[in-house]
Amino acid sequence: MATARPVRAMDPYAEQFWAFTLSKELRLQQCSACGKFRWPPGPTCDRCLSDDFAWSALSGTAKVLSWTTFRRGYFPEYPPPHTVVALELAEGPLFISWPVDIAPSDLREGMTLELRWTDAADRFGEYNLPVFGPPSVRS
Amino acid sequence: MAVSFDRARLGALKDTVAVVGVGETDYAKDYRGAGGQAVGKGEARYDSYTLASRALRRALDDAGLKKDDIDGLCVGGTLSGERASEQWGLNPRWSGGGDAAQCIIEAALAVNAGLCTTVALVYGNAQRSMDTAYGGARVTGGGITSYFYYAPWGLTSQGALYALFFQRHKLLYGTTDEQLGAVAVAFRKHACLNPNAVMQKPLTIQDYLNAPYIAEPLRLNDYCLINDGGVAIIVRRADMVKDLRQRPVMVSGFGWSEENVDATQLRPRLKTFYHGAHHDVAAQAYPMAGVTPKDVDVFATYDSFSVHLLASLEGFGFCGEGEAGAFVQGGRIEIGGALPCNTSGGMLSESYMQSWNHQPELVRQLRGGLGNRQVQGAEVAQYVHDVAGKCKSLIYTRGA
Repeated sequence: MATARPVRAMDPYAEQFWAFTLSKELRLQQCSACGKFRWPPGPTCDRCLSDDFAWSALSGTAKVLSWTTFRRGYFPEYPPPHTVVALELAEGPLFISWPVDIAPSDLREGMTLELRWTDAADRFGEYNLPVFGPPSVRS
Repeated sequence: MAVSFDRARLGALKDTVAVVGVGETDYAKDYRGAGGQAVGKGEARYDSYTLASRALRRALDDAGLKKDDIDGLCVGGTLSGERASEQWGLNPRWSGGGDAAQCIIEAALAVNAGLCTTVALVYGNAQRSMDTAYGGARVTGGGITSYFYYAPWGLTSQGALYALFFQRHKLLYGTTDEQLGAVAVAFRKHACLNPNAVMQKPLTIQDYLNAPYIAEPLRLNDYCLINDGGVAIIVRRADMVKDLRQRPVMVSGFGWSEENVDATQLRPRLKTFYHGAHHDVAAQAYPMAGVTPKDVDVFATYDSFSVHLLASLEGFGFCGEGEAGAFVQGGRIEIGGALPCNTSGGMLSESYMQSWNHQPELVRQLRGGLGNRQVQGAEVAQYVHDVAGKCKSLIYTRGA
């Protein structure tokens, strides 16, 4: 039984994003006309309004911009303390996730983290959740 | 993006409308039940229309106007324009709605276009009675926003988004928790001078630091209240404001700019602290009013979180980027200081009226006579509205 997570916001584009996670692929839409990556998934490139895109695989490398630690519980699936990080992906988009294999007190601005996966499920089904950890202790 | 605003056209609207009446509900009294304790969330006592109606009556009375003088209506909070009009027996010639700054700008435009002359701007929100949630599993919506999009990772609530903002500010500029704490302490000091403010217990910097974190690095007192209330504001064409009950307060400048590109990604929030929108709005509002930040006697910012003040002060040029932590020290933002901010106590300590309670306070400061809460000699007041990059500003001046 996969770990229960708070429910995803779902639409046809998000559905495709999450479907790739079943094979542990982190892919974002990249505009075929101008090359801009977009996140969250959606119908149109916000830079050039093209609706042609490809699901491009990401390197999985990101830099830490900021973080917060929930000291009050908001979701039963994430009892406090729960730390969330804001990352800047190597390809440009900012991405929210949570850190693994690193204590919140060891997080640093600009630190490089790499993609990991953890199991997840909600009412839309099972999937894998992209999380991020330090390259040095990659398992 | 190209600069698209027209300074000459904006400047022509300076002082063309005035605020002639304000009304608010009894925030402090309504927050407490029979035993003097805070009424629990979800213990419904009010609905939004009850509160809004009370505020409207008070604003009309404050102005010395009658309901039939109203020919335009803007509603905010949880009100529906149609139901509000019906409730108050109004068939407006023009209507709008949104946050308080948006409504005042819209009203100024409608009056200048000749659609109406006297607009009632009315807000009601029984958010405590209704137990409205601003984070967690009950927050969902019809579109994609950062409010709930990252729920699978456990990120939720505006508070946590502002915690990410403040943590970034700390990382870039070395801003400290003690520095941020000066904001909550100052606003509470102001609330203690305001009998209608919900929070009446003094707050020291030690109290602030001892209070629990909610979304670290933000603590309890960095968060606004959740309370019930209503606010009404009467805006009228400037040639029709003589001989009313109160000294008019002129709407002398305004500006509007939104940073929505990559908003769900939090890019403008975390990369530039929304300063792009702040700079746009400052370039509109100050020249329109013919003032600079140095001329502002009393200032108010949207303050669902203390952090908003740091962003506003830096974005509107009261201090340099990264300097707001130092700027808010030493009583500078308190009544008696160089730039008194949120002098009613704001949304942190007076009432969470989502931008609406700031307007009556600035109006009253410019009218004068607020006793020990009065900013001496106040002639220019500024409100900055910045909700997740949806930025507007209003500059009010004391009328004749």
